[in-house]
Amino acid sequence: MLRKFSRVVSINQTQNTINKQLVSKLQLAYFAVDPQMNVCACSSNLTDYGFPQLECGEPIDDQIDFMIGLDAETELDLPVMSSPSGIPISINMMPSDDQLTVLISNASVATEQRQMLQQAANENELLVEKQKKLMFDLETASIELEKKNTELEEASRLQTSFLSGVSHEFRTPLTSIIGYTNLVQKGIEQMSRQIASRIAKQDSFSYLNAVQRSSKHLLSLVENLLDHGKLDSDEIFIHPKPTDLAELFDDVELLLAPLSQTKDIELNVAFASSEGNYVILDDSRLRQCLINLVGNAIKFTDVGGVELLAHLDNEELRIQVKDTGMGISADNLEKIRLPFYQVADTGKVGTGLGLTITERIIDLMGGELAIESEVGSGTTVRFSMPAPQAPQEEHFSNLAAESNDSLKVLLAEDDSDIADLVTMMLMERGVNVTRVANGALAVEALHNDKFDLVLMDIHMPIMTGYEAIAELNKANIKTPVVVMSASGIEADQKKAVDLGCAAYLVKPVSVDEIIAVAKTVMIDD
Amino acid sequence: MKKKKICMVGDFSVGKTSLTQKFVNNVFSDKYLTTVGVKIDTVEVMDTKLVVWDVAGRDSLSPINASYLVGAAGVILVADGTRKSTVEGLHEIWDTVAGRIGEVPCVVALNKADLDDWNVDEGKINDFKNRGWSVFESSAKDGIAVEALFNALVEKL
Repeated sequence: MLRKFSRVVSINQTQNTINKQLVSKLQLAYFAVDPQMNVCACSSNLTDYGFPQLECGEPIDDQIDFMIGLDAETELDLPVMSSPSGIPISINMMPSDDQLTVLISNASVATEQRQMLQQAANENELLVEKQKKLMFDLETASIELEKKNTELEEASRLQTSFLSGVSHEFRTPLTSIIGYTNLVQKGIEQMSRQIASRIAKQDSFSYLNAVQRSSKHLLSLVENLLDHGKLDSDEIFIHPKPTDLAELFDDVELLLAPLSQTKDIELNVAFASSEGNYVILDDSRLRQCLINLVGNAIKFTDVGGVELLAHLDNEELRIQVKDTGMGISADNLEKIRLPFYQVADTGKVGTGLGLTITERIIDLMGGELAIESEVGSGTTVRFSMPAPQAPQEEHFSNLAAESNDSLKVLLAEDDSDIADLVTMMLMERGVNVTRVANGALAVEALHNDKFDLVLMDIHMPIMTGYEAIAELNKANIKTPVVVMSASGIEADQKKAVDLGCAAYLVKPVSVDEIIAVAKTVMIDD
Repeated sequence: MKKKKICMVGDFSVGKTSLTQKFVNNVFSDKYLTTVGVKIDTVEVMDTKLVVWDVAGRDSLSPINASYLVGAAGVILVADGTRKSTVEGLHEIWDTVAGRIGEVPCVVALNKADLDDWNVDEGKINDFKNRGWSVFESSAKDGIAVEALFNALVEKL
């Protein structure tokens, strides 16, 4: 019995020894709490993990933070937790009937391995996510690029089609000009060899008329192109001035009648007024709009005719252009207002700019363009604009008709063809012309001689027109200078005004215009 | 003084540790260092001793260990506002939370608001708000909304 008792004691001692060794080897620490969560037991090595030495009988959540919120009944395994000492620990909470035992063991080795593995995996995952995002951005950029490419291709296609349209448009009148000029030359040769026959003269006249028409057509094409450039940069300006409307509509009829005659259709222009013909508006812009609209109507009408009706009433000018042409489908009615747009399959060539420019100009003049059309029946275009009465009618006396015998003009122009033309035209009207080919020679001539007027080109070699005008200003030479330039840009015109020029004429200039300006300038002077 | 346990939960690398460290110790580091298990910090907010359990984020190796959530009085759901998946994943993470400890008070931190590639739908924010959660666009780096989101949670506890 005694031996049996001593063996039991020996087994208990062995177990205690093993337990102590295990606790020590695994660096196990522990504490236990009663159901009220007061400490009832603890190991002394809790301090190894940075925990305080626990006081038995006191609440655990006053002594160990991670126990806040927990109860004595829940079994929990917390694999890794950083202890107050920084050593990673593992926590096992084991509830029993009368207490909760909390075992704390060192988890450094497992944590270190886990840390490395998790860090690498997460960094890899972040890289993959980043890569996916970059791929997505790349795809988005690629789609955007493709879209831009398509737009560019469309723009390029429009430009190509526009250029081919324009080149065709230019080629037609040019061919006509070259051909008719050739015929005129031959006619003149014949006339010089033989007795000038009436028939030869008539032919020459009709050929010259054709040259005139073609030249005007070319000019309007150039103007349309320039105006379109100005539309983009908001550079179109309206310059209202006293205008004789009856004269304006007569001009339009005279200008477009040959076009309708070649197509064998009727052109009827009618202007009615209840308050006289003289109003304030920009006649050249209105003329441009009417030529565009009536020209278009004639172009698209093969049978019947075109009617331009204008009515001035209560200081408002109402205009209607009606044709019996092919008409425009509802689908195309909006599109034709877009620049460069041309309805396909009409067999008509153009720039697709006329209507865009016309609409904009009418808008700037205070009107609004309305288009009604029915396929097969024809098209009617209407607009109206303010047209206030002009105060005086004597502005319109024909200065050009007066005698010009006493007029002495200095012409500075480097293009000999244009210089020849202007000289010839002015001399025919009795004007005395002296020619120079650059600005420096013009300044020299004005130092040596007295002139009534200077006609000055701008782009000339050695000294430009503007430089020459500046020299004249410096030398205090007061002869009025009229600039003749191919540039219709407002900035150039402003520069001329700033330099004190008397007038600015845009080429091509008619002799009537030059003489009218000369008279005005000299009267003002 | 009241004592409350709260948990920071969300996907990995959304800034849970950064927000906690900014709030508790006013420090911030750009370097990413993954949290293993849980880190515990304490801070006093108004009349409450707050024990903040910064729980390791959900990642490809493991889901959130819900044992860490036991005893929490509230949670801060954290997402990275530049990573859409972490924002969308908050509902699933909430299901884990609610499944283990019930529908405790909650605020949402959409973190990294200092970064340019922000990618959070207004609709998603409204979803969160409709669940009664306060939503904060925070930046641990700049300290934006950090204090506000902890204070908002404490007020709900």
